[in-house]
Amino acid sequence: MRASLGVLALALGAVSALLGIVVLLLGLRRKDDRLLRVGLRYAFFVLGASAVAVVAMEWALITHDFSIRYVAENNARSTPLLFTITGLWAALEGSILLWGLILGVYLAWMAIHFRHRAADPMVAWAMVVAFVVTLFFFVLMLGPANPFERLPVTPTDGQGPNPLLQNHPLMAFHPPLLYLGYVGMTVPFSFAIAALITGRLGEGWLTETRRATLVAWGFLSVGIILGAWWSYEVLGWGGYWAWDPVENASLLPWLTATAFIHSVIVQERRGMLRVWNLSLVVATFCLTILGTFLTRSGVLNSVHSFSESPIGGWLLGFLAFVTIGSVILIAWRGDTLRAPGRIDSPVSREAAFLVNNLLFAALAVVVLLGTVYPLLAEALQDRQLSVGEPYFDRMTTPIGVALLFLMAVAPALPWRATSGDVLRRRLVVPAWFGVGVMVVAALFGVREIWTLVTFGLAAFAVGGIVRQVALGFRAQHVAGVSWWEVPWRTVRGSPRLYGGLVVHLGIVAIAVALASASAFTTKDEVRLRKGESTTVAGYTFTYTGREVSSTDQKRTVKAQVRIERGDRDLGTYAPAVSMFPGATSGIGTPSVKTGPLRDIYLTLISAPTDRDRVTIGIAINPMVVWIWIGGGLMAVGTAIALLPKSRRVVVPPAVGRDRPAGDGPPAGDGPEAPDGKDDRDVPVGVRA
Amino acid sequence: MKHPARWIATAVAVVLVALAVVFGTQIGNDPRADASRSQLAGKDAPKFTVKTLDGTTLTKADLAGKATIVNFWNTWCIPCREEAPDLQAFYAKHADDPDFQMIGIVRDDNKGAVEKWVKNRGDEWLIAMDPGGNAALAFGTRGQPETFAVSPDGLIVGYQFGPSSVADLDTLLAAARGGVGA
Amino acid sequence: MSRGRGWIPWVGLVAVVVAVVVWAVWPSGDQTDAERVRNITHQLRCPDCESLSAGDSQTASARAIRRDVTQRVAEGQSAATIKRAYVDRYGESILLEPERDGIGLVVWGLPLLVLVGGGVGLFFAFRRWRNAAPVHATEADEELVREMRRGDGAS
Repeated sequence: MRASLGVLALALGAVSALLGIVVLLLGLRRKDDRLLRVGLRYAFFVLGASAVAVVAMEWALITHDFSIRYVAENNARSTPLLFTITGLWAALEGSILLWGLILGVYLAWMAIHFRHRAADPMVAWAMVVAFVVTLFFFVLMLGPANPFERLPVTPTDGQGPNPLLQNHPLMAFHPPLLYLGYVGMTVPFSFAIAALITGRLGEGWLTETRRATLVAWGFLSVGIILGAWWSYEVLGWGGYWAWDPVENASLLPWLTATAFIHSVIVQERRGMLRVWNLSLVVATFCLTILGTFLTRSGVLNSVHSFSESPIGGWLLGFLAFVTIGSVILIAWRGDTLRAPGRIDSPVSREAAFLVNNLLFAALAVVVLLGTVYPLLAEALQDRQLSVGEPYFDRMTTPIGVALLFLMAVAPALPWRATSGDVLRRRLVVPAWFGVGVMVVAALFGVREIWTLVTFGLAAFAVGGIVRQVALGFRAQHVAGVSWWEVPWRTVRGSPRLYGGLVVHLGIVAIAVALASASAFTTKDEVRLRKGESTTVAGYTFTYTGREVSSTDQKRTVKAQVRIERGDRDLGTYAPAVSMFPGATSGIGTPSVKTGPLRDIYLTLISAPTDRDRVTIGIAINPMVVWIWIGGGLMAVGTAIALLPKSRRVVVPPAVGRDRPAGDGPPAGDGPEAPDGKDDRDVPVGVRA
Repeated sequence: MKHPARWIATAVAVVLVALAVVFGTQIGNDPRADASRSQLAGKDAPKFTVKTLDGTTLTKADLAGKATIVNFWNTWCIPCREEAPDLQAFYAKHADDPDFQMIGIVRDDNKGAVEKWVKNRGDEWLIAMDPGGNAALAFGTRGQPETFAVSPDGLIVGYQFGPSSVADLDTLLAAARGGVGA
Repeated sequence: MSRGRGWIPWVGLVAVVVAVVVWAVWPSGDQTDAERVRNITHQLRCPDCESLSAGDSQTASARAIRRDVTQRVAEGQSAATIKRAYVDRYGESILLEPERDGIGLVVWGLPLLVLVGGGVGLFFAFRRWRNAAPVHATEADEELVREMRRGDGAS
């Protein structure tokens, strides 16, 4: 019954999407506004249908309805409630179901947001594109990836989720957030295609989708960081990023989307880069599909390929359809996309954005090539090859450092052109701050060149950000805003600018953490008898005993390890190994003592023997917590950038304290302050 | 065509189509199937030292003069458990053959579990522990079970990745025998 | 403007950066054995995992590789010899960095080509823009901006 309800809902969703396409196309053809308004509403049916299907699946999971194959394979009577619920995204079919639900949410958002403009062909075409994407995923669920497929014989108990997926609460957050990011890229993609079809290639479609893109980008960023965190807390090898195909698949659309949210500013202000921005949006969407294909079709090995299924051909077909269709559209509209503007100086904000895009594109090429290269080598030369961390590190580090440099310099660059003098004046203090940090790091014995350079550039960037924020605050204060109101007022005055700076701060935190990892990580493996101690990197580790616990879900053996530094007791940590029924080998769970400067990461390599000896892996990982903090900052920054811009900004001090006035540029330092402000301050009409 | 967009778009399309074709050819392939090739095939068996359950040292020299099946396994891997009855049936068939021997080298498991397993099942062929995993490394194993056929003159002449059936094992043994004087 | 003096802090800054970089890359004696082992094991794929290096993974074979490499380094074998020994057993796929030959040139060269090609493209674009008559951003446009900014401020 749950299965029938689910299939019915999926069918309803598919039919709604199809009807939406038909009605909208008819409406477009007949120029019938009423049809267009009706067509928009099918989005709500899609949302309703996918919600019902998800509820049916969750209901089946919670009631352990093992007559459904998916439930039997990803749930067991002993599975705790949390991991029963997260079972929805523990394997491919359920993940696509979640994908469908999120798609439904974005569709409904589009329908609500544009309800008053249903008659606009651009909106109608965007909805058609979104419905086509939806239809594809619903057909996928009705055909080769049916989550509600029945088993001929109902087993008495299920197999339970993959042990790795029922070991940490982060599983509840990481996949949905990642999907919110992945799927959200459908919105800008739909509008980009609509712009190509309608030929309205100005900046209209950009402004329509800016928020949706930013929301999706924020979710994608947080989803990636949470994935790294999950990896760190669960996989137990001491790291958080292995350049695994699945990780790369999530990074690729992030890279192109990041390039896009930068280069879009150039188009908004100067009307340039139209083809490029469209291509970035299309590429981002295609990369989400490519990522799903690479990791779900079984063509690549990956630690994350928990399930393989026959949908590879479907995804590849869809990917080919989307890319080739988009390329043809772009080629067809190529002439009308001709950029009307020009960039006056290579030392200007827009030039910096161009270089930024070049670097992000190069990063994306590196990651894509490295990921698919083993496939290429095998297909073309029948050679078995691997591409891993050393390649990616070698290629991405210089590009990343160049981006960091750009991040430090670019926010200080004015639009159009600058004199060397202005630039020197703006950068001198942050640059010296960066050099100071570099010298201090060198004095403390850091000799890794990339680490030193990253530290210096990170400090340079922070210096620039602090300077810019301080100027903003001062301008507000000079204008008569009281100090405790200053931060809020400043941020509300230009949410995109300050949101962006906060995101940059998050990136700096992550860059510093990554750079530290290559210089200060200590790894060791010790074998201890009960009561025995050993010292690694100044910390004393004592194995004090084991603890065995058993539930229906798993049997866990923990080794209690006391950590001391000198005479100071830092607490007892217990890395564990869990045996899940039906699993081949034990699943290790690391125990991490998190600190602001370093984590102490303990793993149980071999469980206590009869004579109570254990082998413990000890890793001292520097600054890891700053990656998670950086992720948090990126989320906060994105949220700030999404704030509606306040119309009430400051007034010149002479006028009075509380009187609201218009958007006059704050009194600041020359041309910089207004330039640094939200882009909407300046009319986009310059190019017209 | 003034604008380069068309040229770029066409170039991109060509690259994408080529990529799609490459991917398309790979969909049916099981990536693990590639592992079924061993780099050691046709080469001399590597040097190794393992210890049987009763403490005797076993080295490469002990392979000489006999057709040998070397099986890497352990007690916790499920394919190894699936393979176990076949190994037993195969060994029972050939146990009396003086020119044949079978060695089970334990990969990544503790001795207590192995002893219990062998006692419960009554396996009679040589079972050896490989502390430190050096033999497993020397043979280039990627996991378990993996089975090698070694000819009497010490060449690796056959290899099976994953569980072997009785028929697979017979093929391996035939290869090991055929390898005499090869 | 004090054009001459504006440069002084920057000359100093460049000098300091160069000094630090030179100090950092100055060869400081040989690598220790532990560093060598670390480098080599990070270039070998752990045979029973998917993407991790033998230096990172905790699986039995990764640990065996670490011990084996440590021993080989202690015996004085070169990195190339050790890597070759592993390629002989496991095939090329044990190396996490593709070789720089044949099709390997693509994976190393293409990103470089993109960067250089993009850089050259940008360079010519900037030159074209500089030389082109400023059709789109005339003084009138600038005036328009100023006007609209003022207008915006007054609204």
